[in-house]
Amino acid sequence: MANWVLHSLKRGIRTERYRESEPLPAGTTPGRPKPQRMDESAAAALAECCPTGALQVQSPGIRVDFGRCIHCQRCRGDEGLEWRQDATWATHLEGAQESLGGSFRRALHVRYLDAGACGGCMGEARLIDAPQYNLHRYGIFITSTPRDADLLLVAGPVTEALRRPLLDAYEAMPEPKRVVAMGVCAINGGVFGKSFASCGGAAEVVPVDIVIPGCPPPPRAIIEGLLLAVGRSRSAQAVEAP
Amino acid sequence: MNRFEMLQKEADTLPGVGVEHDAQGRLLFTAVPQAVPELAVWLNERAFEFATLVVEETAPGFHLVHYFFYARESGERITIEAHVGPGVGLPTISDRVHAADWHERETEDLFGVCFTGHPFLGDFVLHDEDWPENIWPMRHDFDPRASHPRGRGLDEDWRPRRLLEEQGALEFPVGPIWGDYGESGLCLLETPGEQIRLAHMRLFYKYRGIEKIAEGEPPDKALLLAERFSGNAAFAHALAFCQAIESIAGVKISERSRRLRVVCAELERMRYHMTVIADLAGSTGLAVGKAMGQELEEELLRLTETTMGHRYLFGLAVPGGLARDLPDAAITRLRTEIPSLMPRIQRFGRWLKVSSSFLDRIEEMGVLSTDDAKLYGVVGPVGRAAGREADLRRGLPYAAYDQFPPDIMVEQEGDGYARLRVFLREIEQSARLILAALGHLPSETVRTDCMAVDGNALGWVEAPAGAAFHWLKLDGDGCITRWRAGTPGFRNWHAFHRTVEGAAFQDFPIILASFGLSVAENDR
Amino acid sequence: MYVAAFIALGIATLLAFIPYPRVRAWLVGTCFVVVSGFVAAAGLMALLGHSWGSTAGPLALLEWLSFGLDPFRGFFLIVTAVVFATAIPLVVHDVMTYTRRRAGAFLTLIALLYAAMLAFFAATSVVSFVFAWEIAALAIWALVTFDYRLKGPVAAGYLTLALSEVGTLAGMAGLFLLAAWSGSLQLHVLGKMGASLSAAPLWAPFLLTFFGFGVKAGIIPVNAWLPEAHGSAPRSVSPILSGATLNLGVFALWIIDGPIATSHPRMALLVLVVGAATALTGIIYALTEHDLKRLLAQSSIENLGIVVAALGAGFAFVALGHPLLGGIALVAGLYHMVNHSVYKTALFLGAGAIDRATGTHDLDRLGGLMHRMPLLATVFLLAALAIAALPPFGGFVSEWLLLESLLRVVQVAAVPVRVTFALSGAMLALTAGLALTCFVMVAGTALLGPARSREAREAGRGVRSASWPMLVLVVLSFGLGVLATGFIPLLGGLVKPLAGADPSAILVPTFFGTGAGLPAGLVGALDTIGAGVGRGLLPLRGLVVLHSGGMATPVVFAMSMGLAALVIGLLLALVWVLVHFGTRRRKVVWRRAWNGGLRVLRPEMNYTATGFAAPVRVLFDTLLRPTVNERDSRQGAFTTGVVYRMQMVNVSNRIFLWPVRHAAEAIAHRLARLHHGTVTLYAAWILAVLLAALVAVKLSL
Repeated sequence: MANWVLHSLKRGIRTERYRESEPLPAGTTPGRPKPQRMDESAAAALAECCPTGALQVQSPGIRVDFGRCIHCQRCRGDEGLEWRQDATWATHLEGAQESLGGSFRRALHVRYLDAGACGGCMGEARLIDAPQYNLHRYGIFITSTPRDADLLLVAGPVTEALRRPLLDAYEAMPEPKRVVAMGVCAINGGVFGKSFASCGGAAEVVPVDIVIPGCPPPPRAIIEGLLLAVGRSRSAQAVEAP
Repeated sequence: MNRFEMLQKEADTLPGVGVEHDAQGRLLFTAVPQAVPELAVWLNERAFEFATLVVEETAPGFHLVHYFFYARESGERITIEAHVGPGVGLPTISDRVHAADWHERETEDLFGVCFTGHPFLGDFVLHDEDWPENIWPMRHDFDPRASHPRGRGLDEDWRPRRLLEEQGALEFPVGPIWGDYGESGLCLLETPGEQIRLAHMRLFYKYRGIEKIAEGEPPDKALLLAERFSGNAAFAHALAFCQAIESIAGVKISERSRRLRVVCAELERMRYHMTVIADLAGSTGLAVGKAMGQELEEELLRLTETTMGHRYLFGLAVPGGLARDLPDAAITRLRTEIPSLMPRIQRFGRWLKVSSSFLDRIEEMGVLSTDDAKLYGVVGPVGRAAGREADLRRGLPYAAYDQFPPDIMVEQEGDGYARLRVFLREIEQSARLILAALGHLPSETVRTDCMAVDGNALGWVEAPAGAAFHWLKLDGDGCITRWRAGTPGFRNWHAFHRTVEGAAFQDFPIILASFGLSVAENDR
Repeated sequence: MYVAAFIALGIATLLAFIPYPRVRAWLVGTCFVVVSGFVAAAGLMALLGHSWGSTAGPLALLEWLSFGLDPFRGFFLIVTAVVFATAIPLVVHDVMTYTRRRAGAFLTLIALLYAAMLAFFAATSVVSFVFAWEIAALAIWALVTFDYRLKGPVAAGYLTLALSEVGTLAGMAGLFLLAAWSGSLQLHVLGKMGASLSAAPLWAPFLLTFFGFGVKAGIIPVNAWLPEAHGSAPRSVSPILSGATLNLGVFALWIIDGPIATSHPRMALLVLVVGAATALTGIIYALTEHDLKRLLAQSSIENLGIVVAALGAGFAFVALGHPLLGGIALVAGLYHMVNHSVYKTALFLGAGAIDRATGTHDLDRLGGLMHRMPLLATVFLLAALAIAALPPFGGFVSEWLLLESLLRVVQVAAVPVRVTFALSGAMLALTAGLALTCFVMVAGTALLGPARSREAREAGRGVRSASWPMLVLVVLSFGLGVLATGFIPLLGGLVKPLAGADPSAILVPTFFGTGAGLPAGLVGALDTIGAGVGRGLLPLRGLVVLHSGGMATPVVFAMSMGLAALVIGLLLALVWVLVHFGTRRRKVVWRRAWNGGLRVLRPEMNYTATGFAAPVRVLFDTLLRPTVNERDSRQGAFTTGVVYRMQMVNVSNRIFLWPVRHAAEAIAHRLARLHHGTVTLYAAWILAVLLAALVAVKLSL
């Protein structure tokens, strides 16, 4: 008979402390391209190699639209861009509703909704509960019904078959409510784009307030996004110029 | 005369069947539609497994249907081809070669090729609530970027399939949106309460049409789709895709990249299996076990990121090898980290195996009999836990698996516990393979030029969840004209209903977790 | 008054043949209500002490065919009158669809049943008792088989008649045995004799009368007829059958077996155990039913089981020398009988109205009736709360009293008695829990959720002829709950002749009044919990109390239904206030219920009654012993259909009816062989019988 309590006590606290000033533990984030100054031709070549148009030429260098970057890493390498190892990626969209304040800061109920996600986003969203991250210390809880949820965390490009369920879930939520789109697919359809089978992002169906770019965004970035939704984190830039 | 020639000779006597060798020396049977079922059964009886069904539209309304078969142990491959014209149906093979059931249903939905005698056609990939009859998106005249024919389906008039006739029976819906982190998909349980008599999986809520939107795209674009339609087996599917392209191009990749592919694939398998085990512990309410599993999973993800550059191995596999070489530091890290992780994983597995409250809920629960596993052509760890000695790494070795053959982990019981044991032992096996493949790495380039045009080929891998087959056809410009992703999820979801029928409600989520299936991989 | 009732009944019978349905309905209905008024008045007079016997009254037809009324009989008359008065509107309303002759016959039968019941409750001699009993039995049979063209009712009617007749024969045999020993046909003489005789010879008449007349009360194992009869009887009759006629059995048990069992503890314990077993099996079978009427019939078995168990417990306490405790249990039994009559009549009226509106009483096909018939559904829901024995309704009081009184067995020293009481108590407690499950299921599947069939979706409105009487009954049930302290002394007076003591003084102390008659320690203990609040102000007695222990350390079990009702009312009001004022500032938005992302939650996706009760079925598998028949249709590897049939045979049938039938068939088979003999063989048989008769006569001389 395995004594799980004893085992876990022996192992001690596995949750990592997190301070913005300290670097993230290795492997926590895949990182993402850093906008750089460079000459025109090199920038054009990089923009050319980017399959989603996330890299755009803007003199004097290259700027990055993180909402499109799918981490294909084709721009990475000796002649390519440097990648930055951070995870504060979540962006508050312009014109969206403000962060949930007040009592939500310490008690936020989140409904995760798979709207056609590949499993990567789901895997990372699952892990925000892993011992290393320990979601509950932030007062954030995952709930299984939208009736109890303050925040809808949407992943996936929103397939046509899930358009109605997504809308229903959003409508079933009580006010005030916010929608967070996680992953490039949920932001604009990602590699799937807009097609006969895919709506091309959550914003096509429900009003999105916060986006968490990444393919997939790592657990740390997701937590940052949830904290941003309650005004406990700062918003990153959606597009960064060199 | 070898077995293959004997087969050929024997097949020559079958009515309506022409036999020839194709370019790669495999047998190709050309059959008239009426001869297909007999031929398929004939192959099945000779230990050839149904692999996947591929349909091509040759001209508007005309279709060429390929049935791929392979011998599980020897790796011989046989293809049946049949032409069907407009308005002509193919007789179904799935009442006898049941593994083809969902393939036929999918083909009917997407191409409009009818399989006569199949009892459950329609409302499969394209749900009747939304999708009107008589629009077949995989046909060439359908524009993938056209908008969805919204509002032309049955909407609220859709009726679920009911097969159970019993006093007070109800059709209990689970989904399509699940609690917590369940993937979207509808499971309809026919039950008189408590006991599940019949279960119907209604998936494809997550259908993103990757095979259609890849048409006309160059392979490097489609590769992004192959990687991202099922993120937790991204490397496996990308690898199968790349192997198909390499096969068309006739490129032989470097030894180093062949071995590193084994390393990547096995690392992915370790992490995939760890996820399944953590979820299984969670589904039985073993919270500490789930947390420990997730901790190990996160460590594996971090190890993957620090050595390969991405937590889910995106952007690594390319036609011709790997996108980038592993630096020495990464190789050293793998060599030290894996041996230090393994004892912890093994200890975790031992604890699980002696937790009676956990074992009570997975032992003799969700039993998949060997006969059912064979009938449904179940692949991967689930099939191996039900006594099927099937592993493409042994049967049809690719990458460097011919040098590093894995032991096949087989259990006979087919219950949840057998599946857990297979998952645990395969993690150990993967760790062994990684260390072995890293053993004598030649230093050379990992990326060979690979330019493929005009041709078709099948690429396959043993993905973490089982055998995956990607069939590709490229045109003269090297763009894709047809891509078919036959995934293990598609195979195994098909059989899943057998294991919950007869179970009680409360066992359903546990059986589901013990299968470790991905909906995204099925829905594509 | 009593005679006037019969005359009015005769008038009603004449009116029943009026050709104009509407006029007929009003006239007959009014007439029946007047009859009930007379009956109730007669009962009330008797209850208040105006007893009479046939020797003094106008009904002294013959010496051996005597009638009379005393408070106890008056009490039964009142209950009967209430049931008939409230059940009759649906009857006269429903027969409007019948042809004139059928309607006349139907109403006549009901009048006949009414008359027979009145006569029965007033019967004081064996002959009048059996005579009235038989007429009632025949009237019941005729009513059950009234739809004689249908197979179900006819079969049910035959079963009812057969079991009823067997029961009557057995009961009569027992009665005549007693009569032969006592030398009198008067019932009260018969009763007295039970106390004087030793137990051994009494067992035969006791068992014969207990199980014989117990057929009507639906005790196990002679209750197989009840769900069949009440389930397939015309919908307007079921309320009467269940609400009123079952009390015949209780009356017989009290009058005939009560005096015997109060002198012989073992017999009393048998009554207790049989009652508890009846209650438990009744509710288990109720949970396996999906037919609303059959379910209610099974629930009647359960409730009558509780009544019988309570009487058994009371007899046992009395027989063991604890008349006060016995009195409490007997009060609980009578109380529960009244409660059952009230809410079961209401529920059967609801079932009849639902059947009328939808054409079905299959719970698996109903649903969503709350929207279609709000008033009827609301009162049905309240009646369901009452039968589930929830406060503040009467059922709670009687079940609480019974369970508490069973616990008092600690005052009896004998271990076997304690064990019997403990086991019966456990069975009854389980029954109470299952009853709650059962009526959650009924209310949930019939009234709530979406309609599960076209019939339910297109249901008409609830008929007022059912919903208003139901409302009356629900109010009555509420009154029986809240005014328990006023009602218990009444029942206490009724049980005194049998128990030998009136427990009302200790059960409902005049608390708010003087507090006299109670141990001082007890008063102090109760005062500390605030029981004295309102002393001298409130007109009623405040608490129902059971206490034990010494003066100094009293152990008290007390409840006050009045206060409980007050608290429940206040809480509900508080909730309303909170909701009303708490949400006023916020906008209330109505949205579709979240159903997991389904486009529409189809009716077949909702829980059915069968599905709801499935865990109970699984739990009691050993008792139910279902036989399963599964048939799969296949096409190659495909399963294209599954037919799954589960059949259950009622345990009463298994242990009693079937063996009896097999035995009867075997005997008949043997006897049949005699017909195939030769003439000489017949002659030999005749000779043998003659010889045997001669020998018997010779010996007896």
